[in-house]
Amino acid sequence: MIKLKIKLAFFNLLSKLVFTALFLIFLPYIIERINLRQVDNDLVQKREQVIDLIAGAGIDPFISADSSDVFGSFNILKEEFISLERIETDEDINHIEVAVRLIEDEEITYRVLNYSFLVDGQKYLLEVGKSLASIQYARRNITRVILIFLVLIILITLLTDLQYTHLLLRPLDRISRKLKGISRPELFDRTEVRTTTTDFHNLDNAIRELMENIDQLFRKEKEITVNISHELLTPVSVLRSKLENLLLSGNADAEMPEKIEESLKTLHRLQSLVNSLLMIARIESHQYLREDNFSVQDVLKEIIEEIRPIADDKEILMTEEYLRDFQFMQANRALIFSMIYNVVNNAVKNTPAGGAVVIRSYFHQQKFNVTISDNGRGMTREQVVNLFSRFKSRVNPGEDGTGIGLAISKTIADFHGISVSVTSEPEKGTTFFFIFPENS
Amino acid sequence: MNVLIVEDEKSLANEIAAFLRSENFLCDLSYTGMDASEKIAINLYDFVLLDLGLPDYNGIDLINEARKAGSEASFIIITARGAVEDKVKGLDIGADDYLAKPFALIELLSRINAVARRKFRITVQEVPLGDFIMQTESRKLFCKGNEVELTKKEYDLLWYLVLNRNKVLTRHQLYEHIWGNILDDQYDSNFIDVHIKNLRKKLNAHSATPWLETVRGVGYRVSTD
Repeated sequence: MIKLKIKLAFFNLLSKLVFTALFLIFLPYIIERINLRQVDNDLVQKREQVIDLIAGAGIDPFISADSSDVFGSFNILKEEFISLERIETDEDINHIEVAVRLIEDEEITYRVLNYSFLVDGQKYLLEVGKSLASIQYARRNITRVILIFLVLIILITLLTDLQYTHLLLRPLDRISRKLKGISRPELFDRTEVRTTTTDFHNLDNAIRELMENIDQLFRKEKEITVNISHELLTPVSVLRSKLENLLLSGNADAEMPEKIEESLKTLHRLQSLVNSLLMIARIESHQYLREDNFSVQDVLKEIIEEIRPIADDKEILMTEEYLRDFQFMQANRALIFSMIYNVVNNAVKNTPAGGAVVIRSYFHQQKFNVTISDNGRGMTREQVVNLFSRFKSRVNPGEDGTGIGLAISKTIADFHGISVSVTSEPEKGTTFFFIFPENS
Repeated sequence: MNVLIVEDEKSLANEIAAFLRSENFLCDLSYTGMDASEKIAINLYDFVLLDLGLPDYNGIDLINEARKAGSEASFIIITARGAVEDKVKGLDIGADDYLAKPFALIELLSRINAVARRKFRITVQEVPLGDFIMQTESRKLFCKGNEVELTKKEYDLLWYLVLNRNKVLTRHQLYEHIWGNILDDQYDSNFIDVHIKNLRKKLNAHSATPWLETVRGVGYRVSTD
């Protein structure tokens, strides 16, 4: 995943590079054209000067009328030359070309202007030349300057682009940061993101409104759960007291106490169901404190101590493997106890006599892990999927529990930022993984 | 002992009263906070069982009023709001104990007795059980001078049965007392049976335990004369 800002900057850079590359490909040609034109203008100007000179002083100072001499002049570095000679032709010559001239045994490529004119009936050919070496030198110079300039421009625009897109996208950045790591809508920061960009403004408003709605729905749902639970607990309370009084009154009828106990049992199921729902609602609405710092290993030992008698009775081998301990900070010890206890208890319940349950704790990728494995009856893929849902996980109807224990464990895990996962295979066994967050 | 039951749910108040009366308490009933406030001002109570969720009165105000008026009554708070915060709050404001609805009547009785023992500094040093002797201070069990090694849970279980001797306790009541509400969902009648089985095994190795009875289909009972 790449940030939008970087992507935009990348695109900008790329497009600039493409344009620059195109420019650089055509640059020599363009410079040459410009240079040649410049040189040609120069040559024409020089021609005019020479013609003016001849017009003023006559041709004799250059070439005497009777000699067959050729007049030639060049500067020391042979960058330029001028030559005059008589020619015998009817054509008028006036063109510029690139030609090689031999000057003092040295072959030099010149841009040469050829021009013919008549003086006293005699036709002369004037050649004005300028060395191309100087042109090429100029071209190299210009290319270098342009190249440096382009690189500078690219760098500067890249920086300003980055800065500008950063500034431009800051509201979007803020919105995405607000959304990041929000596990519950009430944690969402509802302050408006300040922006002059309409799109961001609309986006921000829409998200804030959405969050508000979700939060209200959540709140309402939790409130309803809490209220209903309270309302349910009162009649359960009344019924329970009545039945307990009846049981204590010691009725003579032998079957009576048993029937009362059965009713009480049913009532307890209702009670624990209501309490479980209430507990989930309370955890979800953060009514539990997170103020304990404790060793998870100690909790594991306590849980095993609690369950060992049951496992022993069922002849299930319970083993513990602690590689390293972990001090869990700012957590609720009772809830963590309950979270792991539910899973260990489930493992013992779902493992037939002679089976084994293993509790392990270790560090993996800097994170503390607790795993609970059994070689019990295991679960199908569907059962695993529904494992943590509140009422679908009932594996064995007719047991005392309400089948909501794992949903509670999941809720507690979420509350503490612990991730839970399960692997299971029918008839082979099940493993639960608790991956603890690093202490902040 | 005099007990005032402050509970707006009349049938619950009546059941609690019926139970406590059978345990030889003198009970007054208030269904409203106003009525309770008056009764506390006029009468002397040893205990006030106070439902925090009264429609007309803040239960906490009632405690403060009583304390200001110099009442020495012990308050046991009953509430359907079982949250941890409430528990802390309840004990902070001068309540002596706290019970979440729904609770077992015998649990209520044990709490009252525990508060009473603290309040009147009644210490029962030794409780005889057939050939066995329970030492409450050291939390140890002896049989003819030999210590019987018990786990903490086994001792608690036995002690709860002894405290409520001659009453049948259901498995759930025992479970609730020992494991509390936090593991309510994990209640398994087998838990108590296993612990009683282990307890019996340990005790029977020393001497017979006819006083530890299984009441078929109901639960367990410690019978003493």
